[in-house]
Amino acid sequence: MRCRRIFFTLIITLFISPAITQQAFGDEYNDVKQELKELRKMMETMQKKIDELEEKNRNLEMQAKEKDETILDGEETDLTVIETPATERQGFLQKALNTFNPEISVIGIFAAAWYSQDNPIVFAEVDPENTGVNLQELEIGFQGVIDPYFRLDTFLSFGVRGAELEEAYGTTLFSLPLNSQIRAGRMRAKFGRINQIHTHAQNFVTLPLPAAQFLGEHLNPTSIEANFLVPVPWYLELSALGGSPDVATPTFDRSENANNLGRLLYVFHLANFFEVSEALGVSLGGSFATGVNGTGPDERSNLYGIDLFAKYRPLENKPYQEVMLQSEFMYLDADTPEGNLENWGWYAQLVYRFAKRWNTGFRYGIIDTNTPVRKEDGLNVEPSGLFTLIRNGDGKEEEILGLFGRTYRISPMLTFNPSEFSRLRIEYDYLNQDFAQNQHAIFLQFQYSLGAHGAHPY
Amino acid sequence: MKHRLLLKNFALCMTFTLISIVFTGQSAPAQVNIVTSVPDYAAIAKEIGGDRVEVTSLAKGYQDPHFVDAKPIFITRLNRADMLIYNGLSLEIGWLPILITGARNSEISSPSAIGHYNASVSVKNVLDVPTAPIDRSMGDIHPGGNPHFMLDPRNGIAVARSIAARLIRIDPENAAFYEENFKSFVSALKLKINTWETELAPFKGTEVVTYHMLWTYFLDWAGLKNAGTIEPKPGIPPSPSHTAELIRAMKRDNVRLIIAANYYPRKTASIIARKTGAEFLSLPAMVGGRDGIDTYIELFDAIVGEITSTLNNTYNGVN
Repeated sequence: MRCRRIFFTLIITLFISPAITQQAFGDEYNDVKQELKELRKMMETMQKKIDELEEKNRNLEMQAKEKDETILDGEETDLTVIETPATERQGFLQKALNTFNPEISVIGIFAAAWYSQDNPIVFAEVDPENTGVNLQELEIGFQGVIDPYFRLDTFLSFGVRGAELEEAYGTTLFSLPLNSQIRAGRMRAKFGRINQIHTHAQNFVTLPLPAAQFLGEHLNPTSIEANFLVPVPWYLELSALGGSPDVATPTFDRSENANNLGRLLYVFHLANFFEVSEALGVSLGGSFATGVNGTGPDERSNLYGIDLFAKYRPLENKPYQEVMLQSEFMYLDADTPEGNLENWGWYAQLVYRFAKRWNTGFRYGIIDTNTPVRKEDGLNVEPSGLFTLIRNGDGKEEEILGLFGRTYRISPMLTFNPSEFSRLRIEYDYLNQDFAQNQHAIFLQFQYSLGAHGAHPY
Repeated sequence: MKHRLLLKNFALCMTFTLISIVFTGQSAPAQVNIVTSVPDYAAIAKEIGGDRVEVTSLAKGYQDPHFVDAKPIFITRLNRADMLIYNGLSLEIGWLPILITGARNSEISSPSAIGHYNASVSVKNVLDVPTAPIDRSMGDIHPGGNPHFMLDPRNGIAVARSIAARLIRIDPENAAFYEENFKSFVSALKLKINTWETELAPFKGTEVVTYHMLWTYFLDWAGLKNAGTIEPKPGIPPSPSHTAELIRAMKRDNVRLIIAANYYPRKTASIIARKTGAEFLSLPAMVGGRDGIDTYIELFDAIVGEITSTLNNTYNGVN
């Protein structure tokens, strides 16, 4: 402001000095004097106005600042504190939640079943065993974070044939080089898709034929697995697992005979996921597993798999409707002292969720062999999972090595989930074997989950 | 032959490892990569971070945030994130935890990490916190309290503050930029809150029926009263007997408005509206819930605007 005053004085002086010189020469002294007076007056009023305006401006600025300060009070805008912990809202439940207990869940799966024959052909241990009411599985899960580095997921499975440690593995939580993650312990191996899905999360009452035939109920060796997330624009995960095949599977032998590195079980899996559109996601994977099969000291089984899963969920129009297509192909190449076995199988299932709590689906599964081998007396083969118990047309049971012929099964189902924590499902299975009688079966499955809210893998 | 196969697979493994090395070697972009579970947080983070951040929301605004598919691509996104913002209070319990585990990113995985922001921690007043023992016969109750706190715009301020504070720690170089954006966002939001409150003031105490316990915070702030929910219990779809009871109660108490998030089924609400003469509004409940709603302020402009104009019509019609 002072500057401006000086500026004006300067202007005035500049105007005034020529006027004064003029006064000495002109007679119009009085006129000039008058003019000068008027000019000075004008200047003064202008100065006054400027001062007023400045004052006004300052006031406005002050007001705005004050307003801003009332809008943003200190605590709210203090960015040095990240957040003040809200202790006052901690009820007793909150406290209970904050303890270090693992998340516990209990899931019971039961099925009332009717089979068209008294001694039904059943492929997986978890499938309903007989006409009557069957316990399929009771799964108890304990899950939680161990420390900053690991978490542990444990699942015990109780079935009609006793208890099994289904899974108990640690997962690394810290960043490792190459975007890798290690899992170590007993786990469902990443072979295809169905092998990674727990019984309670499956879409049908019975396990698909190829999964039961080639993986047993599931392939869950005690092992170490490295998973690499390959940095490409889509999701690409490469997994490699090495471990002891210490659970009975039809394809691989148990660990008693697997006593050196060459006899361990190795599983590789490549998983891709493409987000084709917001509504449509497609995953495509390839798997390979190799290990000894126990028919002889060094006989190996190689199992190949391709898996496809596509899910269509039009979020914007029908948020609770979805269509899911899942299909897997498996091919087994097994060496035995009696020659090579080549078995294959695939299944495809389509599930349509037509309302929030309802879904219906259809599944076709088939297993077949290029090398039907019948067991004969004097067969020089050690007992192993590759043997299949079959019943021929006369109802006579016999054990054969490999597969006898073609088997296919058609299964339509309807599911109702009263809530996220319970499920009712009816299913009809039609089984056709080209060497035995057809079999019909009807199931009513009921399932309950207690405890921690489970995760829903894609 | 067997050995050759093993070797082949080993070679395959190594190839991918090499690819990984090549790709990881690429220099990371200068922007802070923020991934949020739902779009409300993405919108606020964008206001504060401007062009210095890259923001992605996993769920869409028109999607029920309780039931989001845990797509594997989300793992890829979380793997590259510098910061994860999620709602908490069990809203994302069915899908987010497995993604976080799969992300193998310690910047965001531990709750104590600066890049791991559970927004519910910033909320001073969590509503519907159970004070007595609960079980699931009561429906899908969230043991920590009602998770839909972002529908009270005042909570947006606290959340914005935490996001800004964390961003400043993650990217201190741009601290002044974030602070300035944060202040202008909060000022704008506060002025708007005053406007909305003025608009809502004439309807204080008006009874409203909702679909899910989603609007608890909104009603609490707006001064409206919840006269009942179409869901008999949280997460349990409407039943005929409950609907009949609700219609009776609405007629008795002259309830004139039903509101529901636009991802919920509209059939039952429309039937109830027809039978009681009430108005039914299917509203966006998150940013992106409808075309044209791209900011947190636009979300409340839409919600408050529709509710007040409907209530204006309804009550002026009556008088």
